[in-house]
Amino acid sequence: MDVIKSVYDFITGFGPSVMMPIIITLLALVLGARFGRALRAGITVGIGFIGINLVIGLLFQYMGPAAQGMVQNWGVTLDAIDVGWPVAAAIAFGTQIGSVIFIVGLLVNIIMLVLRLTKTVDVDLWNYWHWAYTGSLIYVATGNFWLGILGSVIHAAFTLKVADLTAPVIQKYFNWPDLSIAHGWATASMIIIWPMMKFFDLIGLEKSAEAAQKSDLDRLRERVGVMGEPVLIGLVLGVIVGLLAYVPAGLTFGDLLGKILQLAMSMAAVMLLMPRVVSILMEGLVPLSEQAREFLQKRFAGREFYIGMDSALMIGEPLTLTVAFLLVPITLLLAVILPGNHMLPFGDLAATPFFVVMVTPFMRGRFWRTLITGIVIMVVIMYMGSIWTPLITATAQSIGYAFPEGAARISGFGNVFGWPLVMLSQLLFGK
Amino acid sequence: MASARKKRVLIVCGTAIATSTMVAMKVEELLREHKIEADIRRCMTSEAKTAAKDADLIVATTQVVDVAIPVISGIPFISGVGVEQVKQEIVNALRAM
Repeated sequence: MDVIKSVYDFITGFGPSVMMPIIITLLALVLGARFGRALRAGITVGIGFIGINLVIGLLFQYMGPAAQGMVQNWGVTLDAIDVGWPVAAAIAFGTQIGSVIFIVGLLVNIIMLVLRLTKTVDVDLWNYWHWAYTGSLIYVATGNFWLGILGSVIHAAFTLKVADLTAPVIQKYFNWPDLSIAHGWATASMIIIWPMMKFFDLIGLEKSAEAAQKSDLDRLRERVGVMGEPVLIGLVLGVIVGLLAYVPAGLTFGDLLGKILQLAMSMAAVMLLMPRVVSILMEGLVPLSEQAREFLQKRFAGREFYIGMDSALMIGEPLTLTVAFLLVPITLLLAVILPGNHMLPFGDLAATPFFVVMVTPFMRGRFWRTLITGIVIMVVIMYMGSIWTPLITATAQSIGYAFPEGAARISGFGNVFGWPLVMLSQLLFGK
Repeated sequence: MASARKKRVLIVCGTAIATSTMVAMKVEELLREHKIEADIRRCMTSEAKTAAKDADLIVATTQVVDVAIPVISGIPFISGVGVEQVKQEIVNALRAM
């Protein structure tokens, strides 16, 4: 046992860009892939990690000092940068919990299928990162690896259960076959959505379940759609932060202009480059995901089940997009006015559709219900991120992410189920 | 009468990261198999309207509105259900252009 542990520690000690390829390759082989395919998958994932690290480096090189400048000059307490979900995923996969999350997640799914506790077959391996994130935070908070694994298991089980519960409404709304949304974040957001549904029914807002007037919605989306362009968000945010950070610093005009433009361009670059490098990582997971699906479909053939999918399938829904675009400036405003908030929304601003993607089918297309619920969600997860900043930063550092001198702390929007679990573990078992 | 110009397929996804990677790979395979010459591009839903102006066919894993070209759901490529059907649909659509 000790030998296995020391070999394991040795491999994971090399960092995710070496560890993940080995794990992915082995897992693919176990699930029946040919050696060449398995190896290529593993290496591609490793390259994806290296790419993500490069972009993170870019982010901190420019954003770090600027955020510090903002804090120093204005006492703006937004010193925790929301690094965005791709970085969070990279951190989650990079920890020791992350290294085994595919095995853990698949085992949980298989056991639940066998015990008929779920109908969902979730081979959306990419999104196992949400479970790994919860587990990793618990591991860092408690110092206990097995508690971390337990946290991931609980989160996974919760996700699969909620996937089953939400499937009928979603299938009806989108006119889908036997799919369910087994997404670690989207299912967690139901914790806010279900009560909000009751609340709106109670106060009688938008009682009739008619979809918002299509033409009005289209016109609104026309006008606010520009707020959904990631590169533009990066550019504009870079300019705003640059102005706040460097104007009071008494630089010459030339220096000032240079610093602001460099920051703006770097932020725009991060917004475009990050999804691209994550895409590489994803390419590596595709063969593994397919092997897993074939494996599970063969073992559980003949039973009625749902194929668990990414919530990205619902992103294009017009109302979701419209509300998401509106949430971009609203979220920034909330960040500034919410008392005690430390998080500067950045990396997730281009991903606001993901935060409201579950709301639309359950509010059945009613605009105000969807928008208000979206705002409630943003407030809750922003506070969560703000509060857990130290833990997130510690988790990133634990796997070797080196932040340059004077860089701000890192953060991200919270998971409505996972993080209360983290809090529980801290209260009960905290170091 | 199908034109000899290279077709342009646009893969549209929620984030142009996760789901589109798999779909793009499958569509590439499919086109190679059927010897159809095409350029494949990927984009996010919010960019679809603009990107659609330079494309002939959209294969999407999410809802796409506001576009003037045909849209085929690529969900079967990631769920594994109905794959042969959607492959045929895509081939037919491209051959008819």
